[in-house]
Amino acid sequence: MGSNVNRRKFLVAAAGAGVGAMVPLRARAQSKTLVVATFPGTWNEAHRNLLAPYFKKRTGASVTQSIQLATEQLAKLEAAKGGRPPFDVAILDEPQVFDAAKQGLIDEYPEAKSPNFKDLFPAYQDKWGPKISLQVIGIGYNPNKIKTRPKSYDDLLNPAYKGRVGLTALNSQLGMAFLAEYNRIHGGNETNFDPAFTALRKLLPNVGAVAANLGAYATLWQQEQVDIAPYNFNFVQTLKAKGVPVEFVVPETGLVGWTTSLHLTKNAVEPDLAVQYIDSHLAADMQSEMEKPPYDIIPTNSKVPLSAAIMQTVAKTPADLSKIRGFEWTKINPQRTALIERFNREIKL
Amino acid sequence: MRDEWPLALPLAALFVAFFVAPFFVLLALSLRVDVQVHALSFAQYAKFFGDTFNLSILWSTVWLAIRATLVCLLFGYPIAWVCSRAPARFQSLLVFAVVLPILTSVVVRTFAWIVILGREGVMNDVLRALHIVDQPVPLLFTETGVITVLAQVQMPLMVLPLFATLSRIDPNLADASAALGAGAWRTFFRVTVPLSTPGLVAGCILVFSACATAFVTQTLIGGARLVYMPLHIYQQAVGANNWPFAAAISVVFTIAVMIVIYVLNRAGSTSRAYGDAR
Amino acid sequence: MATLVEDPVSPTGRPKGEPRPLGGQRSDEVASVGGSHAPRAQSITWDVRSQRALFGILTAIAIVFLLGPTIIVLLTSLTATESLRFPPHGYSLRWYKALLDADQMQAAAWNSLIVAFWTTVVSVVLGTAGALGIAHAASRFARAADLLFMSPLILPALAFGFAALVYIHQLGFHPSIPLLIVGHVVVCVPFVLRTTIAALAQVDRALFDASASLGAGWWMTFRRVTLPLIGRGVGAGAFLAFMASFDNVPVSLFLADERTEVLPIHLWQQIDTNLDVRTAAISGVIIIVTIVLMVLAERFAGLSRQLSR
Repeated sequence: MGSNVNRRKFLVAAAGAGVGAMVPLRARAQSKTLVVATFPGTWNEAHRNLLAPYFKKRTGASVTQSIQLATEQLAKLEAAKGGRPPFDVAILDEPQVFDAAKQGLIDEYPEAKSPNFKDLFPAYQDKWGPKISLQVIGIGYNPNKIKTRPKSYDDLLNPAYKGRVGLTALNSQLGMAFLAEYNRIHGGNETNFDPAFTALRKLLPNVGAVAANLGAYATLWQQEQVDIAPYNFNFVQTLKAKGVPVEFVVPETGLVGWTTSLHLTKNAVEPDLAVQYIDSHLAADMQSEMEKPPYDIIPTNSKVPLSAAIMQTVAKTPADLSKIRGFEWTKINPQRTALIERFNREIKL
Repeated sequence: MRDEWPLALPLAALFVAFFVAPFFVLLALSLRVDVQVHALSFAQYAKFFGDTFNLSILWSTVWLAIRATLVCLLFGYPIAWVCSRAPARFQSLLVFAVVLPILTSVVVRTFAWIVILGREGVMNDVLRALHIVDQPVPLLFTETGVITVLAQVQMPLMVLPLFATLSRIDPNLADASAALGAGAWRTFFRVTVPLSTPGLVAGCILVFSACATAFVTQTLIGGARLVYMPLHIYQQAVGANNWPFAAAISVVFTIAVMIVIYVLNRAGSTSRAYGDAR
Repeated sequence: MATLVEDPVSPTGRPKGEPRPLGGQRSDEVASVGGSHAPRAQSITWDVRSQRALFGILTAIAIVFLLGPTIIVLLTSLTATESLRFPPHGYSLRWYKALLDADQMQAAAWNSLIVAFWTTVVSVVLGTAGALGIAHAASRFARAADLLFMSPLILPALAFGFAALVYIHQLGFHPSIPLLIVGHVVVCVPFVLRTTIAALAQVDRALFDASASLGAGWWMTFRRVTLPLIGRGVGAGAFLAFMASFDNVPVSLFLADERTEVLPIHLWQQIDTNLDVRTAAISGVIIIVTIVLMVLAERFAGLSRQLSR
């Protein structure tokens, strides 16, 4: 009997401790929750710190984030096709939007229910989902460790940087955009990626780490595992705001960019909330908040003027923004799986 | 009392329905060319074994787990030995120290190592302070790093069975050996170690299996360039949505682990013939 | 040698943390913790010294190795700055305070708690029944069943997780909390089985016969004789199953989706995508809670004893 009582006491104590610790924090009203996807790095922080509270004030619903790359979101949506999607709002880069629409994973955006939609520049008013920003890549470097400012991607090959160069895996858009640009610089095009891989092989001895995604990339910078790498503009700004020594450089070959957009997934559980969430992201006041440090997210709302940081580094006017070079993603998309596999083989130690 | 076996039926039913059946379904899926096409085919296995990329991943995983197991053995045996000879109070404390890591979340433990192994982390600070190296050594995203972390994370699995076995060895045997003139080391290697074989084998099996399948540790410490079987399965299953191929990889992986376990078991039972205090 | 005269259910007269090897199965086994082997009087030779020294050093290194990272995480979580450095640049509790606002992390922790709780309950019920069934059964069946029930511990859990997902899909279901619980039970019940079987092995079967001959039915014998004797073993197993479920990654990776997020997956995602110091703070909380639960388990179930059987 003794140990019986003891055992019961212990179980009750443990359960009580667990419940007791949780209860005060869970005493909020049982409100609705919207499950959304977001990108690693700056994006999930901006969405968590700015967008979620704004959305909550507007609708009273809270947000559960799932941090995934665009390619991962497509895979998850494809796997769940026909049933309930794992999240109601997808965030996709330009290349993935074509595939998502083609594979029937997203719904057309109900513009009528979205008051802020018309405030966007016409180029960003897409029927499959509004463009919320432009992402541009260049070179990021640690000015404390690297004294000469790099000028082009070929500077990454400098033997002095052995083991200090960083890359991201090819399923991240940064990785793909960099490879496409590296390819173009070395004479290839959207249908021929061989020059890219030849150049990559020369770069590999300098590569210190390949990050799975941009968030992991940020960690590498913070822990000073890499000192120079191809990098997104606003991610560099976010790290700078956290006190990490890093600077963004526009390479001589120019900036490369793509649009990022939000989408309503097919068979979403809370479609109205999802549209309100996306609409919140389009609002002028939201986009001006996101434009400020540490997020520096380039705005797409015509009512939001460009910030000083963006004007200084990226583009002076919205017209300049739309001129930033991209790629013909429809040509690259069919090769994506093969490219990823080829890349994984090359980088494997 | 012999009539109590029906008590085990509910559990057996659960296992058949939810452990054995899924593996058969997995096997069936691996024998398809495509999720839609139901024809039997070994195409996935041909794909796996026909590519050195896949084979190298399989081999690196097994070899990684073997090395981590050896490190666990090197440090785990002394702890178990000290533990079994320690006075009672100290023993509880030691067991506590050994068990705490394994009860703490694996994500938490692996995360701690990211802080330690970084270029500006504790390990490099110590190495530089001791003047063993001048420049920070890359430890994160290397196999050495992965083995180190795996060894720490899984060591309790080696210590506990060893401790249990060592505690059961009749102390008279060691004394007899000493009385017959054998030194401490000879006694250790000729008497203690062979007698501890059951615990040794159990520990090695548990650690090997855990290290081979340690997804979180391998990916957080190994990074994108060190690909082992768990990540390969995950990438194919979730990333590429290629379920038949992922199923084939899973089956190959499971069989590989089972083979190593069988070998360890056999090695253990042959030396068990030398005498057991149990 | 212990005999039937001893009252197995008396809470007194039993030294704390000491199992009574009732039935005297091993007459040579010292009735203290695991058998203390203080070497009898022998001359301390260089041989013995070197052995003790080497093992002592290796043990010391191993202990540092085992406990160091945990301590480092605890200290790092107290940093005042935004970066994860050790030693931290300044100390503060700000990141623990930040956890109060971490809604999603709390939701994930709550999910994990619920799943772990139910997993433990089901594991204890099925596991105890299973242990009773095979401990006294015919050898062949018992060995096969034992192997089957223990195999989730040694077969790759990731392969099982994926197999479970495929299985669910084939049956037309989708990942959900109840199915996640079932998956966890499969990988956690071996812990309950192991400690319970070990505890049962310590019990003299004559006691059951005595109880039956005194007129007690099966259930009464179970409640008044078996359960108190194996209670601590079951308790330790329950504790291990709970921690294993709370911490499980391979099965949750496939059976828990974005809408049913559990803590380890959430943490892994956070670590992989945005080294946030709050991750260190939640790690600190997990460590402290684990230590508290371990102390409780040691106090009420004699955890260290059960693990060393």
